[in-house]
Amino acid sequence: MLACGQESATFHPPRLANGHPDFEGVWRNGSVVAAFNVEGQAAGDNGPDGPSVIADQPDGKLPYLPAAREQAKDNATHRERDPVGHCHMHGVPRSLVPPFPIVIVQDSDYLALLSETEHSVRIIPLDGRPHLKNYWSWARDSRGRWEGDTLLVDVTGLNGNTWLDQAGNFVDQNEHVLERFTMTAPDAILYEARVDDPTVYSRPWTLRVPLRRQPKGTELIEYDCIEGERDEVHYPGNSKR
Amino acid sequence: MKFIILATRSVRSAITALAFVALPAWGQAAAPAAAPDLRGIWQAQNTANANLESAHVIVDPPDGKIPYQPGALATRKQNFENRATADPETKCFQPGVPRATYLATPFQIFQNDGAVYIVYQDVHAYRIIYLDSSSHNQGLPYAMGDSRGRWEGNTLVADVTSFSDATWLDGAGNYHSGDLHVVERYTRTDQDTLMYEATIEDPAVFTRPWKIKMPLRLQTGPGAQILEDECAEDERGVRHHVLPFRAAK
Repeated sequence: MLACGQESATFHPPRLANGHPDFEGVWRNGSVVAAFNVEGQAAGDNGPDGPSVIADQPDGKLPYLPAAREQAKDNATHRERDPVGHCHMHGVPRSLVPPFPIVIVQDSDYLALLSETEHSVRIIPLDGRPHLKNYWSWARDSRGRWEGDTLLVDVTGLNGNTWLDQAGNFVDQNEHVLERFTMTAPDAILYEARVDDPTVYSRPWTLRVPLRRQPKGTELIEYDCIEGERDEVHYPGNSKR
Repeated sequence: MKFIILATRSVRSAITALAFVALPAWGQAAAPAAAPDLRGIWQAQNTANANLESAHVIVDPPDGKIPYQPGALATRKQNFENRATADPETKCFQPGVPRATYLATPFQIFQNDGAVYIVYQDVHAYRIIYLDSSSHNQGLPYAMGDSRGRWEGNTLVADVTSFSDATWLDGAGNYHSGDLHVVERYTRTDQDTLMYEATIEDPAVFTRPWKIKMPLRLQTGPGAQILEDECAEDERGVRHHVLPFRAAK
């Protein structure tokens, strides 16, 4: 994963006719553990083991304020609260994290991310228009701009109803995210999200995962999440379990 | 305890796993030198979403009526009577095809050589119309169908199959079965107009194929943007569309 950063200094990405890097294709996060716990975890009943994807904290732990850490611990024992378990979109940065394919389609005016899971959609204008006002959403309001060959996306408009993973790590309505998409090899995009949420965390932190291009011919299938969950009793923490 | 409404996860996982097994090679699509540019935010300007038959969009048969089989007409009548609670769209099901095209909310088209991508505001449904001569998926029932397209002159022709029977054609109870087959034609007739035609065939419900036709209008200006349309469940477990705005602080 870190090799991606080393390659980026010399890698020259494919480009669209407008000169900007061409991110089009089908991608998928290469860190499976991140969907289960962004702080990393040992193997257990909640998915595979793996290291933390929190890149800039010495211990790989989220810098929670004390009360928020307690909230996260409580969430971990009540995973039936997971908003994605209730068919909601993942929010940011979680929309890039699940191990499901994501289509990127782009032109000079927009970059769109179409996720298979929850059929989440993010349409990112690149034309410098301002953020929407009083927006209150799951998927967020995103505005992109190029900084060299890196796409920067400023994300606001959160409703505070999303988690970061299945372990109960969370953000609230004061979250502000700056994402960075950098192609580091023909089949690799380094995705970084700097999350600032002063009512949950004592300082900003950065999530970093590698996105890997999926083989040619990879098609997204329809994902539907509407009615008929019959397995709720097996959610960890459910009182009827 | 609140009833959680979800698709069955084990089924979803199994289906998702299929996405990673062998699939037909997706070659670089040989797009025409100048494929028509359908990009933009589009919206219908009619009442077809409320009732196809009264919106004057059915161009075949000539009487403008949907050619139901006798037994199917009774189901339509029952749907109509129960529409306040039975319309799948109001319950946040993905809207289906062709209904997604003439909802009261807009959609946005993106495209490249390999596909045309349609993102609907309604419950953030989207479709990918592959242009690579690949074949339809084999039997997975999709609310939005499985779309394979080609350019025919200046027209995008999309063949759509593999439907579930979970969607309606409008809010008046007009419906279809899982045997639905739709052939859509998208033609940009001028800068601001996308002409939409759909031939609708379903041998389990209709006596013959029938056809709708309507212009879609380009949405421009600062307010033209696909907004979030998410759903949340109320205290009774019923899902409702949620507007993504709150009062100013």
